[in-house]
Amino acid sequence: MNLVRRLVGNAPPRILWSLGALLALLLIAPALLGKYWLSVLILILYFAYVGQAWNILMGFAGQLSLGHALYAGLGGYIAAGLYFHYGIGPWAGLFAAVAVAATAGAIVGYLGFRFSLAGVYFALLTIAFSEFTRVAFDHWAWAGGSGGLFLKVDATRDIVNLRGGPVLFYYVILALAVGAFILCRALLESRLGRYWLAIREDAEAAQAVGVPVLRCKMIAIVISAALTALAGVWNAFYYNNLFPETAFAMGRSIEITLAPIIGGLGTLFGPVVGAVVLTGLGEAFTDLSDALRISGIKQIFYGLALLVIVVYRPAGVWPWLADKLGLKERQP
Amino acid sequence: MTGRFTYTRRRLGKAALAGAALVGAPLPLRHAAAQAPGNLKVALLLPTSGLQAQIGQACRRGADVANEVFADMKLPVKLDIVNYDTETKPDVARTQAEKAIDAGAHMLVGAFDSGQTIAIAQVAEQRGIPLVVNIAAAPQITEQGYKFVVRNFPTAPMLITGALALHKEIFKVSGKTPKTAVLMSVNDTFGTAMVNGIKALFPKLEMPYEIVDTITYDPAAKDLSVEIGKAKATKAEMLMPVCRLNDAKLLIQEMVKQRWEPMAVMNPGAPGLYEQDFLKTMGKYSDFLISNVPWLDPKSAMTQALEKRHLAKFPNDQLDLNGGFTFEAMLVAAQAWLTAKSTKADALMEALRKTKIDQHVMIGGAIQFDAKGQNVNIKAAAVENLKRKPTVVMPLDAAAAPLVFPMPGWNDKRRT
Repeated sequence: MNLVRRLVGNAPPRILWSLGALLALLLIAPALLGKYWLSVLILILYFAYVGQAWNILMGFAGQLSLGHALYAGLGGYIAAGLYFHYGIGPWAGLFAAVAVAATAGAIVGYLGFRFSLAGVYFALLTIAFSEFTRVAFDHWAWAGGSGGLFLKVDATRDIVNLRGGPVLFYYVILALAVGAFILCRALLESRLGRYWLAIREDAEAAQAVGVPVLRCKMIAIVISAALTALAGVWNAFYYNNLFPETAFAMGRSIEITLAPIIGGLGTLFGPVVGAVVLTGLGEAFTDLSDALRISGIKQIFYGLALLVIVVYRPAGVWPWLADKLGLKERQP
Repeated sequence: MTGRFTYTRRRLGKAALAGAALVGAPLPLRHAAAQAPGNLKVALLLPTSGLQAQIGQACRRGADVANEVFADMKLPVKLDIVNYDTETKPDVARTQAEKAIDAGAHMLVGAFDSGQTIAIAQVAEQRGIPLVVNIAAAPQITEQGYKFVVRNFPTAPMLITGALALHKEIFKVSGKTPKTAVLMSVNDTFGTAMVNGIKALFPKLEMPYEIVDTITYDPAAKDLSVEIGKAKATKAEMLMPVCRLNDAKLLIQEMVKQRWEPMAVMNPGAPGLYEQDFLKTMGKYSDFLISNVPWLDPKSAMTQALEKRHLAKFPNDQLDLNGGFTFEAMLVAAQAWLTAKSTKADALMEALRKTKIDQHVMIGGAIQFDAKGQNVNIKAAAVENLKRKPTVVMPLDAAAAPLVFPMPGWNDKRRT
């Protein structure tokens, strides 16, 4: 009860009611939506989830990572490889996947934070790790090398082995997104969350008042990497194939960062709103491109739309939206 | 002269209106005829934007002229082809496939790339809609036990085996056999898979030459002088490049610069050397390079019809294997409808399993699918660039021009 009270905090009742209604709608969505819209909703939830995971490191702790595809790729490859080679189901495999990705996060974090790499230098370090992991996986036969790792496709629902149709994967990614949202809220309300915010605003000042900066940053990157690895596991079993060139691609890392940046860095609803805006815009411009029969026009409009959002709402869409809807949390 | 015809403004206006009505009357009919519903609604899923946009668009052009070629060949079928862009991303490919099926597609065709094709294949399986794979070489696509997937494109091992078999044929016909070769490959998914495949198959195929070195390079390389220098130092008599477009240009430019003139530059089943942009940029140095790839049969009446329609509609674009295989995927879909006379998925799939198309455009036997859904009758061709045009020189029964081998030097008079 205490935990619930802490989670709710000063949130206005209308936010809680809205969240409850949204969750109820999401729970019955597969019964209401066609397969196409369900696949769009799956993409929204996926980007909201990975955005939330990335937001912990950048939005809360202020450390810019442009190589988060590393953790998603590692998670996916480890769980998929264990299933492919030894028949170990993903529920067991995800422990190994999370452990490996968290360790990779700890290594990147230690190298970066211990030697005071910050800003773009830390970002370059994360890119470098992602890139040389890609090259390594290109030549690792166990992971299928550059030819890719393919999981056997099976449409019959098998929750134990995470095999089945889109509805199964929808509920799994919904659970992950809701879980990540609650976890992030709990973290933000905790002492650790306050420390992260202090580090984000001024690391030296935080250190001066006794915040264990290195430890806090390390915890942030380990949690962020572990959560991202779970998305990688889900992704591997949903798409059933993994290629190093796409799993560890720079583009994949950028995709992960977009939803929280557009939605609102460091906010809880930012990644969710960002994922809705980005996926919605993406689908709208895809339709426009199909209707006009001009290839590539989607990317132009998409880029322009992002530019407009970044210029006119530099803090993201959510802070502005929350203000307009009167959903701003009361300050204690 | 009261009866005299005089032009007034009003009369002229009426005459103009009548004339316009007369000329314009058939327009709605023509429009209606052009918009007449097809027999089968086919969703064409291709990466027409993103990294693979250029190839995706080349594929699409093959489909764009399909109905006209069917009409030329007196095939009583019209496809309603709806294009979907996969943006070179598997997640978009999956969503687009769902959208296409929700929009009423009876059959899916796509998607050039293996990752995207597998994403679409899963949707096809789950929704029970047939998928005809136009291009995608990963063997796993037809090893998954899919019930609704057929592929009219060789797997990676088929590509390599076919290409290396042609090497032997070329040596036999020309009477010249290189004793050594150097394998140069771009270090990406495709290149690495090809190099590994060649190394695995090489001993089994008893090739008459030895690969003295394998040199790999980064796909983003801007300078290949060191790599070519290293290859030249091996004194290999043949260069086997596994390249793409831009690195193919760098390779040849550097070979010319370093005056390395081996007996042959002959790829073991890769793009680059036959591509339009390569031919334009490299000019006379593009001639006499040989690609061993599946290619259009210049002697087939259907290929000739396709080339004619393609040239008329896309005068600035070359028809290559991408357009050829995508056209053939449309042909497979059309033939399935002609056999099934139904748009029901099960009937179409049954018809696809029984497919036997003797007259088609790519070199090889009849289009037929084995129990796994793979067409095993596709054959590789030796395509030599002659007068800036990729020309089939092998197999002999499909050859459009005689083979020139060994390759003339870079400053040879035959290069004009």
